[in-house]
Amino acid sequence: MESLVGWWDDFFWGSVVVVQVFLVSLVLMVLFGLLGSAAKLSGNKVLHTIANGYTVVFRGTPEILVLLLFYFGSAITLTAIAQFFDPTIKFIDIPPFWAGSIAIGLVVGSYATETFRGAFLGVDPGQIEAARALGISNFKTFIYIRIPAMWRLALPSFGNHMLSLIKDTALISVIGLQETMFVAEQATGTTGEPFVMYLTVGAIYLAFSSIITLTVIGFEKYGNKHLEVGK
Amino acid sequence: MNFDFALIMTSIPQLLEGIGLTFQLWFLSAILGLLLAIALMLMRISGKWFLYVPAMVYIYIFRGTPILVQIFIIYYGLPQVEFIRESFMWSILREPFGCGILALTLNTGAYVSEILRGGVLGVPKGLGEAAAALGISKVQRFIYITAPLAIRLSLPAYSNDVISLMKSTALVSTITLLDMMGIARIIVSETYAPYEIFISLMIIYLILTWTTQKIFALLERRMNRHTIQ
Repeated sequence: MESLVGWWDDFFWGSVVVVQVFLVSLVLMVLFGLLGSAAKLSGNKVLHTIANGYTVVFRGTPEILVLLLFYFGSAITLTAIAQFFDPTIKFIDIPPFWAGSIAIGLVVGSYATETFRGAFLGVDPGQIEAARALGISNFKTFIYIRIPAMWRLALPSFGNHMLSLIKDTALISVIGLQETMFVAEQATGTTGEPFVMYLTVGAIYLAFSSIITLTVIGFEKYGNKHLEVGK
Repeated sequence: MNFDFALIMTSIPQLLEGIGLTFQLWFLSAILGLLLAIALMLMRISGKWFLYVPAMVYIYIFRGTPILVQIFIIYYGLPQVEFIRESFMWSILREPFGCGILALTLNTGAYVSEILRGGVLGVPKGLGEAAAALGISKVQRFIYITAPLAIRLSLPAYSNDVISLMKSTALVSTITLLDMMGIARIIVSETYAPYEIFISLMIIYLILTWTTQKIFALLERRMNRHTIQ
């Protein structure tokens, strides 16, 4: 354990980066998931095909491949665009933080698309009909009736998607993001103790996934309060 | 920057040179992982605390950490431990291939054991009770009544895990193995054409995913052929 002395603050800041990536990609995941499920449920053929292509491609290929394609692809595209305006520019990339967050947001968003679609379909159609009979607008029906009913249904799978997100953040070290895996690599270079360093990273991730699991359990309890009988 | 279709045509055969390694990693760790999962699942449902507590801790740890971290602990970390270097394990852990197999097996075992447990718990209790009333022993009940039904129940979730294992094999490219992903990364670093190479690889992986889904769908249909549709 003494080899960890002096590295604690690096691991702390690495964990902060993990949390930041997690939060950004969580927002993106929800966004892509909602857009994808809306497109799938819209009944519009073009939108449906696009959303289908999205889920098939991103659920069928390894996360690391999406990440590398996104990072290196965006880098050469941006460089080409920049060189068009200023030929002296050598190389531009999207910062690994953003490239990584967007890539894992896209991947897990494709899983969330299916979850949200199922949850929206699980909302009792009678409630929607009742809202329509009461003359409530489509938008208000969505906000006040569909969403409150669907998030409870989506929550268990959504919890798993959040766990995938936090675990996928480890991959972003491959494109040079300075999070815990990166810290462990550097610390290994100095101390020559990879076992301790990577075990520390494992412990950090285990703590994060435990927090997420407990939070989801809490939300599930809150969401199903009205279903508890006779307590 | 322009999209080079000819490069796709020339790179696909190069990428496919790594498919053998991808298949080896995939199938070997799927089989070993399934055996591990069965053992863990039996420990989990045994009802004896000294069996189910270790199984639960194992599952918790391996499902709660990224597989990349597990691969790195095994590949970079374990050789640092003296008694592992002196044990029989060293012949496996010396090679990145052995480390890859070990990491993928340990990881998938944890996930699959939970799937199998779900299947076993999904079998109606009445069947077991009826068998018990007929005097069928506990072991025979499990093999002839619970297991065949549990396999059918867990098959859809299992097929997802087999696919996610296939996707995880791409991560061994980080420990110097030249599977399809590893080859793709080398070609990209030489040609600097990420779109062409990575999209070709995506197509290969999509075909693998699609084929796996179809095979499992056929298997499911065959296993459920007696059920009334």
